[in-house]
Amino acid sequence: MSKTSYLTLDKMTLAYGDAVAVPELELAVEKGELIALLGPSGCGKTTTMRAIAGLLPVKSGRVVLDGVDITRVAANKRAVGLMFQSYALFPHLTVYENVAFGLRLKGMRGSELDAKVRAGLTSVGLAQFADRKPAELSGGQQQRVALARSMVMEPKVLLLDEPLSNLDARLRLDMRTELQRVQKDTGVTMIFVTHDQAEALSLADRIVVMKSGRIEQIGTPEDIYNRPVSAFVADFVGFENIFPLEAGKLKTSAGLVPLSQPLSDQTPSAAGLAWRPRMVTLGSGPFRGTVRGTSFAGHTREYLLDSVLGEIKAEVDASEPVHAIGTEVAFDLEADRAAPLSRFN
Amino acid sequence: MIARTLFIPVVLLLVLTFLIGPFLIIVAASFSAGETLAFPPQGFSLQWIFKVFTVDSFRASFATSMLLAVGGTAAALLLGIPASYALSRYTLPGAEIVRTVVSAPIIVPGIIVGLALLRYIVVPMQASMTLILFLAHTALVLPYAVRVVSASLENLRSDIEEAAVLLGSSRLGAFFRVVLPNIRGGILSAFILGFVTSFNQVPLSLFLSAPGVRTLPVDMMAYMEIVFDPSVAALSSLLAFLSIGIVFAAERFLGFSRYV
Amino acid sequence: MFQNRAEAFALALPAALFVTLVFLVPVVALLSEGFHLNGSWTISAYVDFFSSSLNQAVFWRTLKLGAIVTVVSAVIGYAAAFAIVGLSPTAKGRVTGLVMMPLMISPVARTYAWIVILGRTGIVNEALHAIGLTDAPLRILFSETAIFIGLLQLFLPLMIISLISALENMPRDAVPAARVLGANWFQVFWKVILPLTREGLVVGGTLVFTGSLTAYITPAILGGSKVLMLETLMYQQVSVSNNFVAASVIACILIVMSFAANILLKRVATARNKIRREGAAA
Repeated sequence: MSKTSYLTLDKMTLAYGDAVAVPELELAVEKGELIALLGPSGCGKTTTMRAIAGLLPVKSGRVVLDGVDITRVAANKRAVGLMFQSYALFPHLTVYENVAFGLRLKGMRGSELDAKVRAGLTSVGLAQFADRKPAELSGGQQQRVALARSMVMEPKVLLLDEPLSNLDARLRLDMRTELQRVQKDTGVTMIFVTHDQAEALSLADRIVVMKSGRIEQIGTPEDIYNRPVSAFVADFVGFENIFPLEAGKLKTSAGLVPLSQPLSDQTPSAAGLAWRPRMVTLGSGPFRGTVRGTSFAGHTREYLLDSVLGEIKAEVDASEPVHAIGTEVAFDLEADRAAPLSRFN
Repeated sequence: MIARTLFIPVVLLLVLTFLIGPFLIIVAASFSAGETLAFPPQGFSLQWIFKVFTVDSFRASFATSMLLAVGGTAAALLLGIPASYALSRYTLPGAEIVRTVVSAPIIVPGIIVGLALLRYIVVPMQASMTLILFLAHTALVLPYAVRVVSASLENLRSDIEEAAVLLGSSRLGAFFRVVLPNIRGGILSAFILGFVTSFNQVPLSLFLSAPGVRTLPVDMMAYMEIVFDPSVAALSSLLAFLSIGIVFAAERFLGFSRYV
Repeated sequence: MFQNRAEAFALALPAALFVTLVFLVPVVALLSEGFHLNGSWTISAYVDFFSSSLNQAVFWRTLKLGAIVTVVSAVIGYAAAFAIVGLSPTAKGRVTGLVMMPLMISPVARTYAWIVILGRTGIVNEALHAIGLTDAPLRILFSETAIFIGLLQLFLPLMIISLISALENMPRDAVPAARVLGANWFQVFWKVILPLTREGLVVGGTLVFTGSLTAYITPAILGGSKVLMLETLMYQQVSVSNNFVAASVIACILIVMSFAANILLKRVATARNKIRREGAAA
């Protein structure tokens, strides 16, 4: 582990009562990085985020931020911001007072306060809404108030809980751009929690995939998308055809099935292989599948095949000849197109 | 078809007459010029309305009842708000036990509580009757306070408190800055409900009277047994208009019925 | 949800402790008096209590009045709730307000009104005399009838309010669906509305029944010193006879009856629901 990391989680263990939710988590985040904690609900990502914020006590291990051990520092003294999924704006205060809330607690008053609040509101494009109550704003505007409220505090780390999940498609793009701009302008370190792989892939510098309280894989979006290390990660990022390997053969419910070509030298130790639907060769190959379902998806056409390997999902260009439901199609799973999995779980 | 169109107005007329008619009769009777309680009233005068204010025992017991209703409800809120907060925001071991204990005074008939307090606190401890009445009314109102305040806490997202803490507030500060302003309506509603409940309560206060210390409704019942003039009717009307006025204003400005 | 247990206890403890000291301990002490005579534990006080025919009469009268008031308020309550639910939203709000209004008025004032109406020279007797139905005034006041009327007026609003919310929570299309399937109005009520509003009926019924069992003001004013219910009997035992053992026995009976009513009616509600759920699953 790098000694110079900005935020370090060192064997951090989190528990609800006696039930350990996150055991001995190790994570190092560099200053100015945008990190995504990705995983299904219950994987411990939100628990981890709450612990970094100080809302959940750390059972054992350490949290070190900017060279200071903050494991036992109270949540209100950590300089960590959190943008809640529900935004958590104060309903009885105006937009202005929401943004001024933390600054006033710091003792800031008068023109200094006013300038800072106005600047915060202007940066998210809401200067003209200063006197409104949160309930009078749209969801997207409320979220930007929440962002401004956190950012005027100049936090060392900004945590974001599912920042895009409550927004419709258009606002989602706006907010993504907004977050990237804020990060570029201020250089703040951001960690966001999401269950949506597309959100993580499009926004993060690095993605931390979590499962059952443990880190499954850490990597760049390209790493995670193209080189998943385990069946869990592969499944999570859209590899639909995943098989364990045994003695160089695919292990299926119908026994061991030999591959059409030998395994390459790079993957002698692979525990499994995974193919996206796009990686399945359709129309030729040693395997036979019966078309159970097909659907047109614009550029491409998707097929669901029943075969000796089990259920196979394939996706080919829409310009290719159509295979009717019930017909038999030849297909291949080529080893050199597959993503090799070092762990199968 | 005719039967069905007639059904609604006839049923409503009968039910509302039964529920509200007696009250209107009391109001009418309090303007009587006669010496005894009767309806239709004999003539019109305001003498009984005025007389209410001259009866010493009514003035004293009104003051006692006001003190108990305001003080008891305030005390119940002081105890009830933190308890409601603990029940709705914390994982409290034995939360169900606490909830049951705190709401117990609503289940046990007041007359039993009154007698129990008389036998086991007033007599052995030589405690002041006003103090005991105050404690008893606090206990009586507490379940209502907890219920109404809990309901408004449930309607308030708890993450705004965490947001306040992360912006630098202490936990206590977050409660006063963020929680309290947002449950003000619920607290006022609880206060009004508690006030009306305490003010109208009879059985609880029945055994808890001492020379000069008596609640107004108990005093009214005692007065009725001796004197059969319209002054109790006049007093009843005045009190009824007072409570209806308070509740109406509360509904108008707070949306009282949301919390009750 | 916050995890800090010490804080949670510190917040909840004052209220729980207060109720325990000012309420639970004295009440338990009072109840134990009836089981503890001359230094030993016994139920002889209960045997004594029920061997008196006067006490028996009061006990059964209390139960009887509670049951009758509950049943009658349910019948009237359904009619009234139907009528109110059928109104336009504004009218519904106003009428509901009028139904709830008596709840804000002191029960003493509400009960007192019946003296004017039911007394020897009250409206009812004057009217009956005027149209020549009676020669001498009827003795309505200080009777079970008077208590029944008073209790019904006191508790009917609670039943109506419970049934209104039950009817409003009923699936919108249940009644039209039953009508389309050929049910007459009587069948619609028994097979559709009653099962679907049972919980509201149970809530309202529990409030009315336990309220009637433990009523004091109404029997005290409208029943007089002769027609007693359990609470007025308890008051007499204390203030006239100074018999605290009997008072403790009555207190225990009242509490047991209230709790039993609560539990029994809750059982009825859940048992019926279970049948309904299993029926739906099958």
